[in-house]
Amino acid sequence: MAVTGRLGLLALLGAFLPLLVASWWSLLGVWAVLAVGVAADLLLAGNLRALRLHRDGDTGVRLGETARVALIVENTGRRRVRARLRDVWPPSAGAAPRVVRIDVPAGERRRVEITLTPTRRGDRDAVTVVMRSRGPLGLAARQLSRPAPWRVRVLPAFPSRRHLPAKLAKLRELTGTNIAQIRGQGTEFDSLREYVAGDDVRSIDWRATARRGDVVVRTWRPEQNRRIYLVLDTGRTSAGRVGDVPRLDCSMDAALLLGALASRAGDRVDLLAYDRRVRARVEGSSRTDLLTAMVQAMAPLEPALIESDAAGTVSALLSRVRQRSLVVLLTELNPAAIEEGLLPLLPRLTARHLVLIAAVADPRAAEMTSARGDLAAVYDAAAAERAHAERARLTAELRAFGVEVVDAPPDRIAPALADAYLALKAAGRL
Amino acid sequence: MVTTVPTAGQVAGRRLRAARGVVGALLAIVLVAIVLAALRPSGTAGALDPASAGRDGARAIAQILGERGTRVTVARNAADAAGASSSDGLLIVTRTDRLTGADLARLAAAPGDTVLVGPSQRVLDALAPGVEDAGEAFSSTVEPGCPLSAAVQAGTVAFHGAHAYDVPAGAVGCYATGDASRLVQIPVGSRTVTVLGGGGPLTNEHLDEEGNAALALNLLGDRSSLVWLVPDLPPPGTDGGDRSLGEMVPFGWRLMPVGLAVAVALVALWRGRRFGPVVAERLPVTVRSAETIEGRSRLYRAHHARRTAAAALRTGARNRIVPLLGLPRGAADDPAAAPEIVAAVAARTTHDEGTVGFALYGPEPADDAALVVLPDLLDDLERQVRDS
Repeated sequence: MAVTGRLGLLALLGAFLPLLVASWWSLLGVWAVLAVGVAADLLLAGNLRALRLHRDGDTGVRLGETARVALIVENTGRRRVRARLRDVWPPSAGAAPRVVRIDVPAGERRRVEITLTPTRRGDRDAVTVVMRSRGPLGLAARQLSRPAPWRVRVLPAFPSRRHLPAKLAKLRELTGTNIAQIRGQGTEFDSLREYVAGDDVRSIDWRATARRGDVVVRTWRPEQNRRIYLVLDTGRTSAGRVGDVPRLDCSMDAALLLGALASRAGDRVDLLAYDRRVRARVEGSSRTDLLTAMVQAMAPLEPALIESDAAGTVSALLSRVRQRSLVVLLTELNPAAIEEGLLPLLPRLTARHLVLIAAVADPRAAEMTSARGDLAAVYDAAAAERAHAERARLTAELRAFGVEVVDAPPDRIAPALADAYLALKAAGRL
Repeated sequence: MVTTVPTAGQVAGRRLRAARGVVGALLAIVLVAIVLAALRPSGTAGALDPASAGRDGARAIAQILGERGTRVTVARNAADAAGASSSDGLLIVTRTDRLTGADLARLAAAPGDTVLVGPSQRVLDALAPGVEDAGEAFSSTVEPGCPLSAAVQAGTVAFHGAHAYDVPAGAVGCYATGDASRLVQIPVGSRTVTVLGGGGPLTNEHLDEEGNAALALNLLGDRSSLVWLVPDLPPPGTDGGDRSLGEMVPFGWRLMPVGLAVAVALVALWRGRRFGPVVAERLPVTVRSAETIEGRSRLYRAHHARRTAAAALRTGARNRIVPLLGLPRGAADDPAAAPEIVAAVAARTTHDEGTVGFALYGPEPADDAALVVLPDLLDDLERQVRDS
């Protein structure tokens, strides 16, 4: 049950009655009247226990978009129920409206539309549904809380999907028109065609030439069906915020763009999220449902405040992936973490795979590099220069191991990674 | 477009309507002030004081009594009055509302007859037991209607507002309206106590009306000495010494806080009952990525690490300038390449080799000011090399 402000107000007015009638009876009388009113209200208020709740609506929504979830209230009782209803969601689910009025005649059902505009990625569970029906006097109300379970999965926003058409155009250019003339590691035989002046004489297919009586050359195209293994580092370095989002979210965005691009290019894409254990894994998805599987797997991922286990990551990779692959490590170029963790293990990885490290740079660091004016700003600039130099040194060290490094600020990391992939593909290095 | 210009009257009306609340509040304040002023007790500082020549003073009657041979002693507190009174004298007690319980006890023990002017029930209980206050009587001028010679001789008296009293058995009541009398004479023990409902007949203003002077002289002038008690306000704290504050508060006022407490409890219940649970949510950690850099910057500053800071700034600038010069990237960190770099930069900028050498390879800045200007010099070099 719950009492209303009206009851408090009446009690307040009643408190002045003894000034007119100086007797205990005046106060007791007021209280008795109010108590009777409250009892009558509780008795006559709509019967909330007769209400059945059902759910309907969206189960997934992209971060930044709005999901609709319906709550169907069915009145199985014999009396009409007028009540206020609050569908309780976690704050980050962004549920609106907070409170709705329902009026359900006996034996009927009413649909209540709730919109969710989540502010964070992950699973959002409906907590409960609270209903309150006031009595006719407005002094007291019945209140009841009923579970009505529903889960909405908030998927990564994938803002870089706007880059996809441009990258796909680049890819078509690569595979369609610019047929590679030179045989390389990542190319495969495409077709035979007549020799034209300028073609590499080394690509002349003599057997075909003999058969046709005309000079024929072989053409090569970037090999398809390569494997790409995306590894998301969900350890402590992924928790750092660049701008307003965690580094992990930027990495996810880049991974999604690369996944979408590579699957269109005919490559097989797998995903592994790892810190000290496997947090999420997408393997062997078909081309069509890769993106769905990836966003579903990424949705509940949160950065863990633990040091990532590089050795575990490497051994997990080596045990899973036999075929030569492009291993894309989405992590942070943190000198301490990389030099102690990943660097000693890199030779084992590079021996069998092509490794690409994609790191999200912090634009704030670049800003601080150019800070001038007072002592604090100059020290800021010095510290940022130092960090920049360390990052550059680390990048050089990694490149010495034959590792590709993509280091870009959050708004450019996704296209930069896609470009790096396309460049590798064009060079036939996959 | 047509615009309607409001007339002056409309503007005034609008302003009046806008100011309605303020005007209303001001009127309410004035009204409350008037009511409070009207409800103020009418007695002034010199009321019924034999020394006061004011309208409600009593100097006229005191002087007349003096001229007729009655010695008038003015007492300003009950102790003096009790001390000055004698068994053949008369004690008149005015402004009885100022008397404390202790004062009343002293007066009750004092010898001689007593006249009480407009006493409240409290005073009556102490000095004239049996007489009951019957409230205010409003008709101003009244006939005596009693056998008391002082009243009969005086005839009609103008009271101008006085209390009336129920007369117990054994007492004589005069100037009655209904059952209540404005003048009551009652024997208390060995003395006679006269209760006069109001001080009106004694005041300078009204002494000459009707039989007022006659009544006053009859009541007060038949003894050789008269002690006139006009008590001063008792010092704070002594008043009501025999009554606690709680006893002075009316019962209804004491009940109200109980009602208020219950009301507050109900309001608390109303506000305290949540409409649904508070939802706890695991929030993601918020670590700003640049925090390590900022932390390092503060460490530099705290330790005045000018050398380290300058070295970092110079290395950064060299790494950006060297590729612009067309030299191998590694040259930036190679001390052997320093003269070559300095010469190349000096050739492309307006600065001489000494300045460039200081900027790119110089010693630790001597003080904070030197450190602050170093990056500006480096920026200038870099810009000039870039533009050259």
